Amino acid sequence: MLRVENLVTAYGKIKALRGVTLEAREGEVTCLLGPNGAGKTTTMFSIAGILRPTSGDITLDGESLRGLGAARVVGKGVALVPENRLVFPQMTVSDNLHAGAFSRRDDRKRQRDMEKIYQRFPVLRERSRQPAGTLSGGEQQMLAIARALMARPRILLMDEPSIGLAPIIVAEIFRIIAEINREGVSILLVEQNARMALKFAHRLYLIQQGEITFSGTPDELGQDEVIQRSYLGG
Amino acid sequence: MEDFWIEAIELTQSVIDGLLFGSTYALIGIGFTLIFGAMHKLNMTYAAASIAGAYVGLVVFVFFSAHPLLVFAVSSLASGLIGLLVYLICFRFIPVNNHLAALMATVGALFFIDEVIIHITNASPLAFPALFGAASFDLGAVWIRGDLLFVFAASVASTAALLYVLYRTRLGLATRAVSQQNVAAQLCGIDVHRTNATTFVVAGLLGGIAGAMTAASVGVLSPLLTLPITVKGLIVTVVGGLGSIPGAIIAGLMVGAAENVFLYLRGVNERDIYVLLLLFVFLVFRPNGIFGKSINRD
Repeated sequence: MLRVENLVTAYGKIKALRGVTLEAREGEVTCLLGPNGAGKTTTMFSIAGILRPTSGDITLDGESLRGLGAARVVGKGVALVPENRLVFPQMTVSDNLHAGAFSRRDDRKRQRDMEKIYQRFPVLRERSRQPAGTLSGGEQQMLAIARALMARPRILLMDEPSIGLAPIIVAEIFRIIAEINREGVSILLVEQNARMALKFAHRLYLIQQGEITFSGTPDELGQDEVIQRSYLGG
Repeated sequence: MEDFWIEAIELTQSVIDGLLFGSTYALIGIGFTLIFGAMHKLNMTYAAASIAGAYVGLVVFVFFSAHPLLVFAVSSLASGLIGLLVYLICFRFIPVNNHLAALMATVGALFFIDEVIIHITNASPLAFPALFGAASFDLGAVWIRGDLLFVFAASVASTAALLYVLYRTRLGLATRAVSQQNVAAQLCGIDVHRTNATTFVVAGLLGGIAGAMTAASVGVLSPLLTLPITVKGLIVTVVGGLGSIPGAIIAGLMVGAAENVFLYLRGVNERDIYVLLLLFVFLVFRPNGIFGKSINRD
């Protein structure tokens, strides 16, 4: 459903992406793996419309998203949970969720979605009147996911949702990701935690220095000796 | 002994007048703070735009003998419009990271507005209508000036309206989101440029009211008002804590009261020296202001 073709994004003269091509299929969890500085976040920001690519295309079911700008990309059904969560620290948890639904005008359905979110994340209901900045890292990550879900995305982009979290929280976050995916939301996930990615993804891409160097299923990746050594420590 | 009581009563009177008039400083401070919250940059044109708005209001008064309330409304709208222009000229197309360029652009616009006013009015002060200027309320030893009470009430009403917009409307949600986490705001579907433009208009509306109030309580409108109000507004913003609305309110009232006390104790020539000393005291001992938190962005 989401296709990225030959995407080039540059910071000044330095090309962070040098022709990235990948596809996130309907209903699947697609994972983009790679070391620091490889261009994972740049890819996500380019898809979400925060960064403007210099060439290439991004399409959702054939419709181009390139150059729309972030605010309109959300309206098309593509929501990003950014790296480091980026919650609105002085706004209450509830206002953070309302902000997430900003691109929608359907008030009644929004209220119902809010209720569903609180059922999925009971801790957010408990803290709904608290400023988001006072939440723990894991709670902030859940809030960031919940906020993105409030936009009712068809595909959810997630940039390193496990970063800086305790293993038990990481497991919880991935359980939630799998659950969201089972309910029909496609997912494009950026991870450094290769083990987690292998467990949950249907399809994997490896990005190095702004280029895709591998694509395939977790099984195929597991058989690749070089990747085994560099990413799975075995 | 009797002298002491007279002194005490007159001092109290000064503080009361100062607190009431200080509400206009609070409004100006809120405007500076709102814009700083949105852009993380200072808008030096703000107070001049407020006075310019009051001049437009005065045009309606002089040529159409409009009711003072309408004059205030026109001042407010005009200042809101000037706010939008200032955003477009000094912020919208200047690269986000170029803080100095935006600052210099607003300083330039401040002097530009000043020069335009001087040119049109030949720099002579013009009378400005006051509301309830003749009324006063006797509270025994001290009394409250009707015009200042009106100024105070209007400031309180404007602030209440602003807080309603900020915390109870879609627009307010967008404004707060943009000022706290710009990237996340975009990811939520919020148009940052439009939100910032609206913030400038809202701040301008408040500024126009403050400008008209200032002119109404002084009784005249003069280009000589722009610099002192700019300086007072900045003091209020720093003392209150950049980005803090409650801080701007309290600091505005404080500066108004302090100004009048120094006026009473030391006279008009020395007044501003002490007000500025207040600024330095805060910069040294409480650089983040009364309510300023160390700015922490995730």
